[in-house]
Amino acid sequence: MTERRRRYIRMYALVWFVLAVAGDIGLALGPTPPFQASDLASSQSTVIKILAVIAWPVFSAVVATIAFTLFGNRVAPHEGDIDPGKLRGDSRPQIAWISASIVIVLSLAVYGTVALASDQPGAGISTTSASLRQPASPSDPLEVQVIAQQWWFTYRYPTYGGVETPQLVIPVGQKIQFHVTSLDVVHSFWFYALGVKADAVPLNDNVFTVTPTQTGTYRVQCSELCGLWHGNMNADDAMVVSSSDFAAWIQQQQAMDAPILKYLPAYSHTYEPNPPAYGT
Amino acid sequence: MGLRASIAAVSIVIAGVVVGFFVTQYMGHTPPTVTVSTSANTVEGRPVVDVTFTTVAAVGSGLHPNWVAYLNSDGNPSTYFHVPAGSVVRITIDQQDGASGLRNPYFGLVRGTVGNEMTVNHKVMTSINPDDAAHTFTIPDLGVSVPLLGVADNAPAGAQNVVQFEFIAPPQGTYRWQCFVPCAAGTLYGNGGPMQTLGYMAGEMTVS
Repeated sequence: MTERRRRYIRMYALVWFVLAVAGDIGLALGPTPPFQASDLASSQSTVIKILAVIAWPVFSAVVATIAFTLFGNRVAPHEGDIDPGKLRGDSRPQIAWISASIVIVLSLAVYGTVALASDQPGAGISTTSASLRQPASPSDPLEVQVIAQQWWFTYRYPTYGGVETPQLVIPVGQKIQFHVTSLDVVHSFWFYALGVKADAVPLNDNVFTVTPTQTGTYRVQCSELCGLWHGNMNADDAMVVSSSDFAAWIQQQQAMDAPILKYLPAYSHTYEPNPPAYGT
Repeated sequence: MGLRASIAAVSIVIAGVVVGFFVTQYMGHTPPTVTVSTSANTVEGRPVVDVTFTTVAAVGSGLHPNWVAYLNSDGNPSTYFHVPAGSVVRITIDQQDGASGLRNPYFGLVRGTVGNEMTVNHKVMTSINPDDAAHTFTIPDLGVSVPLLGVADNAPAGAQNVVQFEFIAPPQGTYRWQCFVPCAAGTLYGNGGPMQTLGYMAGEMTVS
C-alpha cells in the first residue's frame, strides 16, 4: 500500500466519521415528527428516530464515497499512470460490507416489525356491533365515529346519545377508539399530530385506538384524493381538551343538535346508502 | 437545416402558441359572479349585504342545460360572490328544485347562521326533515350550513320556497362553499357532474 493510498483512506475515514457523528447527534437530540401529542405519535417518533440514527452513517458513507471518488481520486495528467490497486478477489472488504449490511437490515426489519405490531392495538376492520352505551369503566375507550363525505368530516359520539358534530373534540389522557367510515367515495382520515391515518371506506368500519397526551388545537385532513374539494377537505379546529372542557363542549353540542337529533339514523358502524334516492 | 428539422421546429412553435393561448385564456377567464348589493341598514354597526340565488333542477341553457345549479339574478349558473369582512351577509335563495334527500341527515340542521336559524317563506326554522332537502348551502370552514327545503313534486311550475338567513362575514380570505345533497341527477349516487364543478353546486366566497 502506497503512502498516498494510506493517506487517502485515513482522510476518507475521518470525513465519514465526522459527518456520521455530527448528523447522528443532531438526529438524536432534535425533534422528530410526528412529535409527542399521543402515545402513538411518540412511539412513531421513537421508531423514526432510531431508523434515522442507524441509516445516517450509511448515508454518510455513500456520500463520502461518491465525493472521494469524484474529487479525491483524481489523477492530474502530469502524474502519469498510477496503479489503482486491486479490489477484485480481495475478500476482506467484501465480507465486511456484506455482513454489515445484513446485520443492519435484518435487525432493523425485526425492530420495525415488532414496533408496528405493538403499535396499533385494535386497529383494523371492526367486528363489534354498534350501540349507544356508557363505557363500563373509565378505562374503556371513548368511541368516536368519523364520518367522511364529500367534503367534510363529521363526528358522532355514541356515548353521548349519538350526537353529531362537524368539529372533532376529544379529551386528553383518555383512550379514544376512532371508527372511521365514509358515505360516498374513499376518503382517508389523517390526524397527523396523533399519528393516526385511517382509510374511510364506504360500508366499512375502520378502527384505530389512540390516547392523546397533549392538549391543543390540531389539523385534520383528508389524505385520499376524493373529488373537487379534496384539497380543502381539512379543518384546523380539531381539539384535544381537558375532560371537564370536553364535558362542557359535548353538552353544548347536544343542545345545538336538539332540532336534528330525531332525524339522525340509529348509531351504526356503517351507513347503507339508499340508492333509489340518489342520482335519479 | 433539413426538412425534418424545419417541420419539427414549426410544430413546436405551433404547439407553444396553442398552449400559450389556452393558458392566457384560462388565466384571464373570470367566471360570472353573483351581484352583491349593500343594504341601507346596519346591524350593530355592521353593514348588511344581500346575496340572492335561485336554485333550479335544470339550467335550461349553456354548456350543461340538464344540470342542477345555483343561478345568479341574470339566470346564469354562478357560485362566486364577494363580501366585505365583518359585514352581515344576508343570503336569499329562491329554491325551486324538488327534494332528493340528504345522504347525511345531520345536514338537515341549520347551524352557524345568526341565531342558528333560517326563515322559509318568512317562517323561522332551525331544521328540516333531511328527506325533504333539495340542496344545502354550506361553508365548511365557517361551520355555516343551511338545508334548503324542496318544493313538492306536484307543485306548479315556478313554485318556490324562499329561504333566507344571515351570517357574519369572516376575516379576509377565500372560503369554499357547496351543497351536501347528492343532487346531480343521472350520475353515480348523485355525486357527479354539477356536484364536482365550480359554478353549479360548489363555489367560492371571497371576503375582502
